[in-house]
Amino acid sequence: MKWLSLILSLGIAIGLFYFLNFPHGILPPLGKFLNPYVGFWQNGTTSDNLPSILDVEGLKDSVTVLWDDRGVPHIFARNEYDLYFAQGYITARDRLWQMEFQAFTIAGRVSEIVGKQALEYDRFRRRTGMLYAAENALNAVLAHPETWAASEAYAAGVNAYIKSLNSKNLPLEYKILDYMPEKWTMLNSTLLLKFMSWNLTAYSIQELFMTRAITALGEAETAKLYPYYPPYTDPIIPPGTPWNFRPQISEKPASDFTPTGLTLANPIELTSSFGSNNWAVSIEKTASGYPILCNDPHLSLNLPSIWYEIQLISPQVNVYGVSLPGAPAVIIGFNNEIAWGATNAETDVLDWYEIEFKDDTKSAYLYDDEWLPTTVRIEEIKVRGGETIIDTVYYTHHGPVVYEKAETPFDEQIPPGSAMRWTGHDPSNDVLTFLKLNRAHNYDDYVEALFHYDCPGQNFVFASAKGDIAIWHNGKFPLRWERQGRYIANGRNSAYDWQGWIPRSHLPHIKNPQRGFVSSANQYPADKTYPYYLIGNYFSFERGVRINQRLAEMENITPQDMITLQNDVINLHARKILPVLLSLLDSQSLTEDEIQSYEKLKSWNYEHRADLIAPTIFEYWWDELSNLIWLDDIETSWGELLIPRWDATIALILKEPESPYFDIRTTTDKETLTDLVIKSFHSAIRKLTAELGSLGSNWQWGKVRTTDINHLVLIPGLGCTGLPTNGSASTVNVKKPTFGPSWRMVVSLGEEVEGWGIYPGGQSGNPGSQFYDNFVANWVSGNMYELLYLKSSNDKHGRLVGKTVMRSAQ
Amino acid sequence: MIIGIIICLVVMLILQILTPFWWWIMVVPFVYGIVKAHACRKGFLVGMTSAGLLWLFGSLYYLFTSAGIIAQRVAVMMNLGSPLLLVVATTLVAALAGGFAGSSGYFLKKVFRRD
Repeated sequence: MKWLSLILSLGIAIGLFYFLNFPHGILPPLGKFLNPYVGFWQNGTTSDNLPSILDVEGLKDSVTVLWDDRGVPHIFARNEYDLYFAQGYITARDRLWQMEFQAFTIAGRVSEIVGKQALEYDRFRRRTGMLYAAENALNAVLAHPETWAASEAYAAGVNAYIKSLNSKNLPLEYKILDYMPEKWTMLNSTLLLKFMSWNLTAYSIQELFMTRAITALGEAETAKLYPYYPPYTDPIIPPGTPWNFRPQISEKPASDFTPTGLTLANPIELTSSFGSNNWAVSIEKTASGYPILCNDPHLSLNLPSIWYEIQLISPQVNVYGVSLPGAPAVIIGFNNEIAWGATNAETDVLDWYEIEFKDDTKSAYLYDDEWLPTTVRIEEIKVRGGETIIDTVYYTHHGPVVYEKAETPFDEQIPPGSAMRWTGHDPSNDVLTFLKLNRAHNYDDYVEALFHYDCPGQNFVFASAKGDIAIWHNGKFPLRWERQGRYIANGRNSAYDWQGWIPRSHLPHIKNPQRGFVSSANQYPADKTYPYYLIGNYFSFERGVRINQRLAEMENITPQDMITLQNDVINLHARKILPVLLSLLDSQSLTEDEIQSYEKLKSWNYEHRADLIAPTIFEYWWDELSNLIWLDDIETSWGELLIPRWDATIALILKEPESPYFDIRTTTDKETLTDLVIKSFHSAIRKLTAELGSLGSNWQWGKVRTTDINHLVLIPGLGCTGLPTNGSASTVNVKKPTFGPSWRMVVSLGEEVEGWGIYPGGQSGNPGSQFYDNFVANWVSGNMYELLYLKSSNDKHGRLVGKTVMRSAQ
Repeated sequence: MIIGIIICLVVMLILQILTPFWWWIMVVPFVYGIVKAHACRKGFLVGMTSAGLLWLFGSLYYLFTSAGIIAQRVAVMMNLGSPLLLVVATTLVAALAGGFAGSSGYFLKKVFRRD
């Protein structure tokens, strides 16, 4: 009996200990986590300010940090080393978990934290050579004294902060996921830049789908459904601008290549996810007589935010803007003389080459009738609570063979059996561009800085207090023959290799154009006379056309006008097509809800606002119509093709109303465009009524489609969800379920530079801080904060709320 | 018994503040069970009450001083809804762990010692 009681009681106690001490699935180790004296209860804060005196080992001199009321640090250092050391320290103080986790993510090390559920994800990162890319980039960083010094100082600063951590003050996510931060390395900083490079490159990968399309449809129909030059584009460089250079030529192979293995995959809609706006207006167009520059990069929205706001001041530099947590310097921002911003160029820098191995050992591959040796990279994937997985990746001179023919790719856009050629794998020192931009005084400095930036291309916009404005479609772009990169290439034949690079001075660019403004919105950069073949998933026309129309007609522009334009939600997709669709509707055979819907659309001014009902009806109707037009046509013997983009669909409706694509192949009747328009309208309203009830406030766009800013690893409660944002995928103020303007910035240059900015998040990465998501409400409403550009650590301002002197503790 | 609770509470509080380990709320009642408890019920009650109170007071203290925002978020994360339920959960975890550790200590003593 005594024994039984002991066994029973001890059994329960041991069971409880085991349960409370270790994580279980998504549950953190509850004993550690709930412990009020060490666990999450310790992560609350009443104030985010650092102490007024902070002794830090590793600084060369003392550093002063002034904090403003939004938690932005203004860092005053006496030398460059201390500047980046302090940037590392302060950023880690606010964002350590995020920066380390993102570095782990891109390096393919998530399994180390969460166990085998992340194994295929990690394998995908290793196979695409992300670690390889970051190592190559690190070599380039170390080869340049300036970037070496900045990266080294930054890492030392992060590590000084990590040293101050204990199990109580550890960031919350480490407690939830039950692990500890590692020592920060310079490699982590290059990994984070590769994280951006990959995200901005990845959506231009379409060879697999395009190859299937051309095999199934032939050249002419492919060009119609998936136009290489998006219809209605208003390019970045004004049409008619002469090209004052002699282009280099790329030799085309003698015959076309048909790849052997076209696997089936599910169709996805051919849209790109990462878009952005930027523009600058000249002195003739502004009220102040100085240029104004604007930028709003659209990225995946998460908490903690991708951006960290900061001002960096040393005797050599005084720059304000947003930084990438984990990397030195300001990425998008301004100093007293110049401002710059970036949008994704979309120009394709990643191609797939079909590889023929000699045998199963994969030790050699066929290339120009010879067997060339592969190089092997062994990847060790450590798995929490499991065995380390050894993965062998075979590299050709093109790049790594990501998935073999028999494997199922983690990302279905990747063609199995192909090697990946990506400029991101080449050594590059992109951080040098930002260090130089931070210190730039004029146009020449800006252009010189850009030439160090490789992957992927960006449209860098520029304005200076001297009165210059400019834009460069900038990056390391392969010299292509026509259609090279559109389909899977022949890895056996050197004629398919990239034959060089477009010389930087030949890239589309313009300085001080006649029309008084420069702009970009991810559209095709030039008109069709541009002599180089560029390819990419360039965006549909709407944002670019709208921005250019507005900038052309605006005069006496103030910063407030620019904020208004960044928040513009006139939908040009709807404005172009809706009148035509409505004219085809037969209003006699409509139900009550349908008549009301028709009236809503008829009186709509194309503002895609959250409080309106018409945008909802239009979006539902368009989706139904697009599906009705295409779903029957994309079924081919080669598998399903991609649904063509909406701009191609608009062009088909407007230019070829009699097109056979409007006939539904699966029926015996001969349908016309009018039939489809009516049918899709009925089904859209039926769907709306079924989902949302009768037409009423439930149909408001902001209630039907919201924006979610999720936590980086989707932890419930740590995100900001269900936000009633304005806009659509076709408006300047872009709205997508989890994407959007990640940083809105307006900079008015002059004797004294003035800036406004906002990003959807907050400076602190601590979910227990009031500064975790405090910008979100103003971001939803389209408001912006005036940015404090300080000159001296003695500056007084009502919005400065704290001061920290970091002293060298040696 | 009240004295036992107070002793356990003070010892655990000191250990919890000085070290990062949560499991003092099991170790201390366990030792108490071996050394002092005269009945199973007593070992359990002392462990349960002292550990429960320690974490109840601790979580309430932080909830009302600094952890208001974080508790709200963690309550959503753990599907509890309200921070007060999180306090209840915290207390319950400690009470159970402390209680069974205490009774286990007592039974261990019973097995190895005849009196």
